[in-house]
Amino acid sequence: MKITVDEVKCQNHGLCAISAPDHFELDADGKLTYQETFDEENLDAIEDAIDSCPLQAIVMDRDAA
Amino acid sequence: MATQPATLHLDISNAHFRMDSEQVRKARDAHWYARTDWGIAVLRYEDSSALLKSPLLTQGSAKWPAQHGVVEGHFDEWWQKTLLVLEGDEHNRIRRLVNPAFSPRRIAPLHAKFQALADGLVDEWIDDGRTEFASQFAAPYATRILCVMLGIDENDWKKIHELASTIGLGLGITIQENIARIDQAVVELTEYAESLVRSRRESPNGDILSTLVETRDEDAGKLSDEELINLIILLIFAGIDTTRNQLALSVEAFSKQPDQWEKLASEPERYSAAAVEEALRVDPIGRWISREAAETFQYKERTIEKGTTLHLFTMTSATDPAAFDNPDRIDLDAERSPHFAFGGGLHHCLGHFVARADIAVALSTLATRLTDLRVEEDAEWLPDSGNTGAVSLPITFTSRS
Repeated sequence: MKITVDEVKCQNHGLCAISAPDHFELDADGKLTYQETFDEENLDAIEDAIDSCPLQAIVMDRDAA
Repeated sequence: MATQPATLHLDISNAHFRMDSEQVRKARDAHWYARTDWGIAVLRYEDSSALLKSPLLTQGSAKWPAQHGVVEGHFDEWWQKTLLVLEGDEHNRIRRLVNPAFSPRRIAPLHAKFQALADGLVDEWIDDGRTEFASQFAAPYATRILCVMLGIDENDWKKIHELASTIGLGLGITIQENIARIDQAVVELTEYAESLVRSRRESPNGDILSTLVETRDEDAGKLSDEELINLIILLIFAGIDTTRNQLALSVEAFSKQPDQWEKLASEPERYSAAAVEEALRVDPIGRWISREAAETFQYKERTIEKGTTLHLFTMTSATDPAAFDNPDRIDLDAERSPHFAFGGGLHHCLGHFVARADIAVALSTLATRLTDLRVEEDAEWLPDSGNTGAVSLPITFTSRS
């Protein structure tokens, strides 16, 4: 499964990094970095990150390899 | 080395200070910040955006009661454990657990309730051609929505509104002289919150509070009853007066631009979200977001010493001509950059999706039912600093029906 962050929408608030710290991180300049692919076992944390994003900038593709 | 342009001083504690003034615009033209008696005021969009999310700044409000002579008691004990002032792991653990309960998909089912509430309140006074908007719409609407979300009997809304207003005095500079009643309000709300939590533990019903009661997380544990009760009081403290005042400010802002009010009325589905964002941008209740430097650091040409207070001016940054075309005008068709009326970074407002949704329903309902909207001259406003809003907002209008 795969996630994409709309980098135009993203404002680097960092709430995704609280919900799913293994997949989202703010770098030293405060800019978001993230892992595109994730496993089923992390689905809950990823869904929480998607729900928590103030800009609703994270999109999940369940079917992506 | 090039000479830096001079910074100006803004007297933000003066009763006559106005955010929407030539003085503030001049200060923003001159420099990215101005000096104030309480630290620096950040004025421009680019700098507000960067500093708002900087990990070198903390929320900085933990000291507020002590700075005003209150060092113990129910309010202080509650305040020191609220999400507003917690930092680091404790903040992040609680925030992580509560965020999903306030997501758009959890709030969507409440829209029909918001709509019925808005229409019911307008029905009460639409035939009069006038009303006092703050008490006859904004206060009951904002408070009853919170009652719905927490499962509080809506008939108790006046009591809840009164308790919320009393706790709100804790953020005023008169906190010390009011502390006995503020403490008493915290005690009453704690008892209220305890009974709500008890009833949801016994019989969960799928509402937001039930979700919070059931919240568990393998890594982060779960919310303790103390944390839940603290959060319920925070929602009442932070969710009622803010929405009430933002509704009044939004109506006032639109009354000055009837063309945009008519545009909203003609296509409410299309424009309601933009109407909320534009109202929050040009007239936000939170006039500034406070931060404190957790360590000494360099930002642009200025060294910001540890402990420095920064006020990030929300209206000023969101009407910065460097970031917005025709910045002081509501334009429902414009593509706008995000404003910072809900703060930002890890302390970004928790309830913003609820606020956005309920203000959208309110504004589109009002626009589709009322035209020729005018604010009367005897409207009374809170000081133009910190959190502002209308004490009373008499309006006149013509019913469209």
